[in-house]
Amino acid sequence: MLQAIDTRELISLDILGYCLRGTFHRPAGDTSVSWSLPASALNRAPGGPAVLFLNSLALPRAAAGDSAVYWADAFALRGYPTFRFDLPGLGDSDGHASTDLLDVINTGGLAPATAAIAKELVGRGGYSSIILVGHCAGAVTAIFAAAAFKKCKGLILLDPYFHLPVINRPETRKKLSDWARRSTLGKFLSNLYDRARHLWLLLRGSTLPRNANTALLGKWKELSAAGIPVLLFQAARIKAQVGKPRVGEFDYTQHISKLAARKNNLAVKPIDRADHSFANRAGREVVRDESLAFLANNFPLPNTTSRTK
Amino acid sequence: MPAHPHPAAHLPEHPAYFPVPGAHLYTVLHEAPHPIARVLLVGPFASERHNTYIPWVRWARFLAERNIEVLRYDYRGIGESTGDFQSLTFDDWSEDIQLLSTFLAARTPEAPLVLHGLSMGAVLAGRAFDQCIANALLMWSPPINANLALRATLTRWVGLEQIFKFGAVRRSVSDYIRELEQGLPLEVDGYQWSTKLWQDSFAFAIPEALLSDQITSDANGRPVNITRLGKEAAPLGKGGSVGYDDLKDFAWLFQPQFDWIAGAATKSIHREQHASGH
Repeated sequence: MLQAIDTRELISLDILGYCLRGTFHRPAGDTSVSWSLPASALNRAPGGPAVLFLNSLALPRAAAGDSAVYWADAFALRGYPTFRFDLPGLGDSDGHASTDLLDVINTGGLAPATAAIAKELVGRGGYSSIILVGHCAGAVTAIFAAAAFKKCKGLILLDPYFHLPVINRPETRKKLSDWARRSTLGKFLSNLYDRARHLWLLLRGSTLPRNANTALLGKWKELSAAGIPVLLFQAARIKAQVGKPRVGEFDYTQHISKLAARKNNLAVKPIDRADHSFANRAGREVVRDESLAFLANNFPLPNTTSRTK
Repeated sequence: MPAHPHPAAHLPEHPAYFPVPGAHLYTVLHEAPHPIARVLLVGPFASERHNTYIPWVRWARFLAERNIEVLRYDYRGIGESTGDFQSLTFDDWSEDIQLLSTFLAARTPEAPLVLHGLSMGAVLAGRAFDQCIANALLMWSPPINANLALRATLTRWVGLEQIFKFGAVRRSVSDYIRELEQGLPLEVDGYQWSTKLWQDSFAFAIPEALLSDQITSDANGRPVNITRLGKEAAPLGKGGSVGYDDLKDFAWLFQPQFDWIAGAATKSIHREQHASGH
């Protein structure tokens, strides 16, 4: 049994009373770096950034289709020390996730643990900054955590959402939606409904919907004001043009872009061939390439000449 | 730290890489000080791994807390294990079980070894058990063959795909199967299924003698149990969604299944003692 193989090492951290387990993707060109070494030995090239992946809702740290493993391997190959951790109660980590996990996440409940992991990585690894990567609910946690720890200097977000779920959606409504997707008449009526909602939206102007996650938007505002670089991916959405919300839905991307406009550090990348998981080949390749470009532009490595290109 | 109960006082858990030909398997050993039995958990396949991960880990911890040593792992090419998924075969995944069983059996040879498989894992565990590499076999929702497990995954994936598609763009399960049978690979939840995987899955079956729902032991007297999981056991059973069903309390399922394992271990020890004349 091995704790480490050529490119990866299995590690654990004691965070807020939990043993959190994760995987360290060793940077190419420096695969002798081991988390098990004393801090003084690990901290031999201080100043560089590191990347930290978070769980997407309740998925284990490998993420859908092992996409997080794929991206972490790619980032490490380019020279970025990359970590994937299971947050408390998720994956292999200790703790017991409660049945209201989504509510916990939407109110920033996993941010303290995330910020503590980032702090530990910076303290022990000597990294200058941490770039958080989060998908869907993981993106929500990433925003809350970045606002809580100043050395979180960048965000890569995949399909973040800024609203709270509508509680108790009636079963008949779900059945109606399913019927609308299957039948021609259903599609027609669905379009009509969307138009009516669009009209209502126009009448409301730029007022946020009632179920907007205002706490999260507040954190976004803080990060935008601080000028933190953010790369935001959007997958294809149901009944929507690429990069646009469905007709009748509030355009949160436009809203957060306006908030970030002053510092101009937000890049939005719609991927029409990706599904929400981004695990399909087309999706994961675009995320890999765009993320690497984002990292290179905003977080250059201290000694890029020695890294594998 | 809001909304988290106190961290459970778990027994030691040891994540590690286990070398196999051409790859490293990700394993987690749930140690028990003086185990009454050892269980090798052969989990769900490919994308099903992610949907069932939390209850699967909780099951391993449930057993370890009751003095059963557990080894769980990721199949070659899946999850935290290394390897190129699309080039792997059922023979490779069968080899994983053989190598891990040998490792686990050597740790505490006096404790009986139980194979426990779920869905595709049940097919692999059933076939391994048939080669006499364990003392007892527990199968949750075993399909007759690997193809039925793949079909179940495909059906679930197509259902999710259809949520995002309207009218003529929606494709059925049979459309995708037709493509696979015509030699085109299919990407399911991020995993590239090859035509060979699909074709091989028909013949990769659980030995018939192990498939009767009335079965209590095999021809050699080794205990066997089949448990069919319904919707109430989602996502271990049919359906369910990540972040909701996987966070449920499964004690109602785990307790009787633990009781069976403990009973099977006792029977195995008695059989061994009887065979050796003690």
